[in-house]
Amino acid sequence: MFSWQFSRLTILYPLILFLLFFLDGNVMAALTPLLLGGSFHILPLGTLIWFFYAIQFELTKDMPFTVYVILIGLFFDIYYTGIVGTYTVAFLVATLLMRAVRPYFDERLLSALLLFLIGLGAYLGLSYFFSAVVGMTSLTISQFVYLVALPTAVLNLLLAAVFYYPAWSLLQRTH
Amino acid sequence: MKKWFSSRTLVTLMVSFLVIVGLIAGSNWYAQRRSQPPFFQRVFNDINATISKAIAWPTNAVGSRANSFANLLSTFEENKKLKAKIDNYAQTKVRLQKMTEENQSLKKQLGLKHTLTDYDTVSAVTISRAPTAWDSQLIINKGSNAGLKKGMPVLGDQGIVGRIAEVNTVNSKVSLISDNSEDANRFAITVKGDQGDVNGVISGYNTDQKVLEMGQVTNPQNIKEGDTVVTSGLGGIIPAGLYVGKVANISTDNYGLSKKVYIRPSSDLNALNNLLVAKTQMEQ
Repeated sequence: MFSWQFSRLTILYPLILFLLFFLDGNVMAALTPLLLGGSFHILPLGTLIWFFYAIQFELTKDMPFTVYVILIGLFFDIYYTGIVGTYTVAFLVATLLMRAVRPYFDERLLSALLLFLIGLGAYLGLSYFFSAVVGMTSLTISQFVYLVALPTAVLNLLLAAVFYYPAWSLLQRTH
Repeated sequence: MKKWFSSRTLVTLMVSFLVIVGLIAGSNWYAQRRSQPPFFQRVFNDINATISKAIAWPTNAVGSRANSFANLLSTFEENKKLKAKIDNYAQTKVRLQKMTEENQSLKKQLGLKHTLTDYDTVSAVTISRAPTAWDSQLIINKGSNAGLKKGMPVLGDQGIVGRIAEVNTVNSKVSLISDNSEDANRFAITVKGDQGDVNGVISGYNTDQKVLEMGQVTNPQNIKEGDTVVTSGLGGIIPAGLYVGKVANISTDNYGLSKKVYIRPSSDLNALNNLLVAKTQMEQ
């Protein structure tokens, strides 16, 4: 049905994206003892997962995807950190990379998760690099990998896997 | 050999890299110099915080259930310990009240209006926390309309946890004491040693051990483990006598010259739902 297809991609997709943008911060605030307990630093990356779904299910041509990515990146920078540029670039590069290597992957869950892992790696790596440039982080690369990147990857891969099939059935193209 | 990039792409890549690094460093520098963000950013953040507040309601409800369940498990042991402590506090509280009254009447006699230890508090609630790895920033629901200013100290349930980093109209960003960026943790502090006070500043945060660092201490012989650390009030905007934490250990720095003092913060930086912002009365 055209109208359902239309409203899913033009209304529902950006709406959920916008919601996830806030949810990431709220979850971080509400569940801090669980996410930052111990020395680990687990980041909820719902927004990135949502971008990954659009790439995985090949919907990027049916909507102004790059505009969404840049907008959410800017929102992140202005609302959460107050430093413009870091997350805009991290989101942009991560999604561009995932789009570039998407043709080498297929629809199977494990293949999809590997694609997401590549994007997640690029996202975290870039945000680390830029924070190091402005002197905001004191973590060494190895500390960053085992305290931040690994636990974050585990949680978000799990989330991406759990919502993979629901998102697929919601977003799949019918034409 | 196959060329991966054309020279045009290479130039574009290089220029955009420079622009991005410039943008990040520039906006960081700009934000630190201004007392309030530009109008557009302020309005944008106010709108976002309002939406965020609505979404925070269910997530906070879930979060507090989960946290209170975790707390429940340790309640019995804690309760026993706390009961033993509480009698002591009643006595201290009465004494403190008496001293405060005496202090105020003495100040009046001396003609002093406000000193560094006088401050008002504004209570605030955490709306959101940056889902990023190091800029430990919170967003709270009070802004310039409640009289907050950049640089004011923020208190958790037991002591200082951070300071206001950015003030919008109805919300503010708090950079936590654990924030490692250059200007975030220059809190002027005093270690209350047995043989006199030792002044200094917080120079960093050790993410691994979760302790604050106080560098370049000149007379560390006065400091020992377990000493209380409070804000010194030097600099004017942060009142004196706010509880920071206790000395965890003392070590010589990398070059063997001056000592480094590690301080365990009093408040749990991971459980900050209700906060107080301290407004010093010195300027008013």
